[in-house]
Order: sequence, then structure tokens, then C-alpha cells
Amino acid sequence: MHELEVKNLKMKFGGVTAIAGLDMAVEENEIRGLIGPNGAGKTTLFNACSGRYPITSGDILYRGRKISGLKPHEIAAEGLVRTFQHVTLFKNFSVLNNVIAGGYLHAQHSYIGSLLASRRTREAEAGSRRRALEILDFVGLGRIANQEASTLPHGHQKMLGIAIALAAEPRMLMLDEPCAGMNSDESREMISLVRRIRDTGVTIMLIEHDMKVVMGLCDSITVLNFGNKIAEGTPEEVRANPEVREAYLGSQAHVA
Amino acid sequence: MTEIDLPHRIAWGALLLVALLAPIIVGFDPYLTHVGIIIAFNVALATTLWMIWSLGVISFAHAGFMGVGAYASALVLHKLGLSMWFGLWIGAMVCGALALFISLPLMRTRAVYFFMASWAVGEVIKRNFAYFKDFFGGWDGIFDIKPPVLDLMFVQIDFANRTAYYYLALLFVSLTVWVVYRINSSRTGMIYWAIHENELLAAHTGINVFRHKVICFTIACTLVGITGALYAHYQTYISPKSFDIWKSEFALVHLIVGGLTTVGGPVAGAISLTIVDEVLRASGYFRTIFFGVVLIASVLLLPGGLETIPRRIRAIFQRDSHK
Repeated sequence: MHELEVKNLKMKFGGVTAIAGLDMAVEENEIRGLIGPNGAGKTTLFNACSGRYPITSGDILYRGRKISGLKPHEIAAEGLVRTFQHVTLFKNFSVLNNVIAGGYLHAQHSYIGSLLASRRTREAEAGSRRRALEILDFVGLGRIANQEASTLPHGHQKMLGIAIALAAEPRMLMLDEPCAGMNSDESREMISLVRRIRDTGVTIMLIEHDMKVVMGLCDSITVLNFGNKIAEGTPEEVRANPEVREAYLGSQAHVA
Repeated sequence: MTEIDLPHRIAWGALLLVALLAPIIVGFDPYLTHVGIIIAFNVALATTLWMIWSLGVISFAHAGFMGVGAYASALVLHKLGLSMWFGLWIGAMVCGALALFISLPLMRTRAVYFFMASWAVGEVIKRNFAYFKDFFGGWDGIFDIKPPVLDLMFVQIDFANRTAYYYLALLFVSLTVWVVYRINSSRTGMIYWAIHENELLAAHTGINVFRHKVICFTIACTLVGITGALYAHYQTYISPKSFDIWKSEFALVHLIVGGLTTVGGPVAGAISLTIVDEVLRASGYFRTIFFGVVLIASVLLLPGGLETIPRRIRAIFQRDSHK
């Protein structure tokens, strides 16, 4: 059984075909890179897998269970969680509360419990808080837990976005350009974080434009162009593929 | 999900104490007691409106739902002959059921579309009261809505007595504020504020946004329905005009002047502006204009509203201590 399986997926927006019959599969506990020029359909694939946009046709299976047609919150509950390309946070929350809010799925929330502040509820809330602090320590934001999210520098905001996703305790994480807009130090930190997340048993699929990041980090890479898969394989295989050079980098360019 | 700290406890306790002693302080003056009762209604209206605001939207149907509770309770008295002790709960249930039903389409709209749709809901509720003359009494409204009598075997409390009604209103407004406060300071409140901050992200963390929006709206409208029933049996007369868009808009002004981020905001705003409103009553038509001036002045001079005053005072002291 594949961790994530996409079968003949088509995504159309009006007359525009964003994904034209894509077949691919992601295996358990790998780091899969998704690359391709702008408009290749990478983020659209994420939006399809996370339930943000309805799919036009085809099937998406997560651990053998059909998830296409489910709502974003249902897919998150299945264990498939994503982050966003642009910084997406609860901006006026503290860093800690961002992660606590992200832990909704494991918070045993109930209305009656909230109203009566029963012991079970208070224990669950304390548990959420403890868990959020652990996650913040894990991603390296533990020291700034009480700062307001909107005041953080860009790199930390991207990290926090991942911390929120981790709070949902995903089995598979989809990261949309985790290193976008980062300097090289922040990038290195992010790469090490992604590796550490994988080492906890999480499967990762990520979109990234920085070739050094992709080639150094990913176990395997899928290349999209104009909504089609044009290559798939290890970083070495993809790097050597003439079609990838042609389509992705222009015929004269050399992949780093 | 923040722990309630000591200054907050003291502030709420002091407010409740003043509210409890208020009739004695004013020497059971009937007019001032009346103002106290109106304050209680306005606090409940503003606080429950604020609960919907924690989702990030303002409902202009809020006074309309207060009207649903009021009419339901009045009709229970007149058509079924049951006192407010029944009408209150039946009104709340009718209001909750209607809110649940209406929020199913309403909560699929966002931002400015929600404002427009909720405005229409409020207007339609009001017009229904006016249109179905035989049932709701048309524009003339319903008269002679008797306040209840509480028969405790050895003692009878007649709530036609203003002081008695004040304490009844105080009891229910306290319960309303308590419910809203509790919900807001728990995980539920965090869910609402997460939706408020970023609906997309909230959905992707596993929150069923639509479900929580519907539940929040239903709870808030149920609470304001109870307030409506209390209002009806206090005024003894209601008409569609009692629950028009103006009432929702005044409640919105209470929120803005009081502050939008804590439950203390609507409470402070409703108390202070009801008093301002009563002081300005003599000016008749110009009341609304004064109200507008107060709104603009508070936005300009006190951005964030009354709830920011303690923080501002603390900031002044901290600045001094650094010198």
C-alpha cells in the first residue's frame, strides 16, 4: 500500500487545465520532492490532496482510503496535513497559542466540557499546552513561545507554520515551499528540521524551487510540467534526465 | 485558554457587587432602577453579539432574534396562558431552532456578504411580525405582557415590582455573561478566534469551521432570545419596531466603544453607553447624532475601546518606574 496515491487526477478551472491526468505515488516515510516551473500544477496538486479545491476527475487515496471529495478538516483528521506557500498563521495569537490551536484534533474538545470547565477538560487543555511547548522546542521556537506571531521574522513564521501542522500529529506532511524567502542559514535550519520530522516517522512531500535544497534533501523527486508528470526518480536520475533539463531549466541550462 | 488572573477576578467581583447593591445605592429610585434594567438587557445583547463577533462577523439580525424570544414568550402567555417561567424557555428554544435553521445558509456567506445577509434576516423577522397581523399583532404589537409572579409557598415575589425585576434581569444577564465568558476562555473560544484569524488555516488543522460557526450562532441567538423574553415581560408591550436594525446597530456601537477583544469590552461599552444614552434622552432626535459623535470620538481618542484602559494605565506606571 502506498502512503499517498494519485490516480489519473485531472484539475480544471474553467477552460484551464492545471493538472492533466496525473498518476503518482508517495511511499511511507520518504521525503518526496515536487518540482516544476511556475504553473506546472504543484500547488494545485497540494490543494487537491488537502481538499481545498474539488477535483475534476480521478482519485486520490491516502493509505488506501479514498480522500478525494472529503473536506479539508476531514483530510487533516485522516493524518494528511499541509502547510502553505505564503505565511499562514493565526497572526494575533501568541506563538504558543498558534500551536495549541493547531492541536485541535487531539484536544478532546466538547462544548459541555468548555462550559463547565470540568476536570477532564482542564487536564486536556493542560495537555495541549504541554504538547505545544514540546513541538515548539522541537522546531526551535521554544524560547519565543509568548511572542505574538505577527512580530516574528519571516523565517520563524515559516517554522511556526510547520509547528502548527505538526500539532495535528500528521502521518504525512505536505510542505509548500518551506524555504521560500529564507536566507541560507534559515534554509539550513529548515532542511535539518524537515529531516528530523521524517525521522519521527512522518512521510513528507514538499514543493521547492531551490535546487540545492531539493537535491540534497529528497529521497525521490517528481517533476511536473504543464500539469503532466515528465520525470520521476532519485535526485541523480532526475538531474540526468534530458527532458527535465529541457522543460524545467531551458535546454541550455545545467542542473546544479 | 488563559488562566483568569487576580485583577480580572477582582474587577468582575467588584462589578457584580456594585450591580447587586445598585438599587440600594440609588435608594430604590424607580427611574434609576429602570435604567439598571435597560443596562442589563443591553449588556446581554452586546455580549452575545460579541460572541458571534469572535467568529469574525457581526450579525445585524441580532435584535431580530431578541424579538423572536420576546414574541414567543408573549404569545405563550396570551395564546397558551402560560407565564414567563415557561415563555422564557420556550422563547429560547424557538429562537435557537430558528437560529440553527437560518445559520445553515447564513454561515456559508462571508465578510460583507454575511453583513448583508444577516441584515436581511433581521429585517425579514421584523417584517413578519408586522405582516402577520392576526398572530403577531402587526405594527401595533402586543400589549399587556404580564410580568411573572414567583410563588415559593411561604412567600410570593411579584415581578411587577421594579426592584424585583432588576434582580431577575441581573441574574439572567450574569448567567449570559458567564456562559459567553466561559466559552470564550476555553478551547471553544480558541476555535472561534482561530476561525476569526484565519479560516483557511483553521480548516486545515482539522476544525470543522462550518459546524462551529453554526453552533456559535445558535448559542448566541438562544441567549439573546432569553433576553428578549425578559425584555417583553418587563416593558409589557412589544412591537416590530422594538427589534429593528437600530437595536443591532446600537449594540455594535457598544462593542466598538467597549472593545472587541475581550468579553469585558461589550460589558463596559453597554453599561457606559446606556448611561450616556439616558443622559442624552432629553435631547430627543439629536440623541442619535450625539451617539455618532461618541462613537467617532472613542475611535479617535481611545482606539481599542474601554477595555484598553487598564492596559494604558499599567503602561503609564511602567513608564514612570523606568525613570
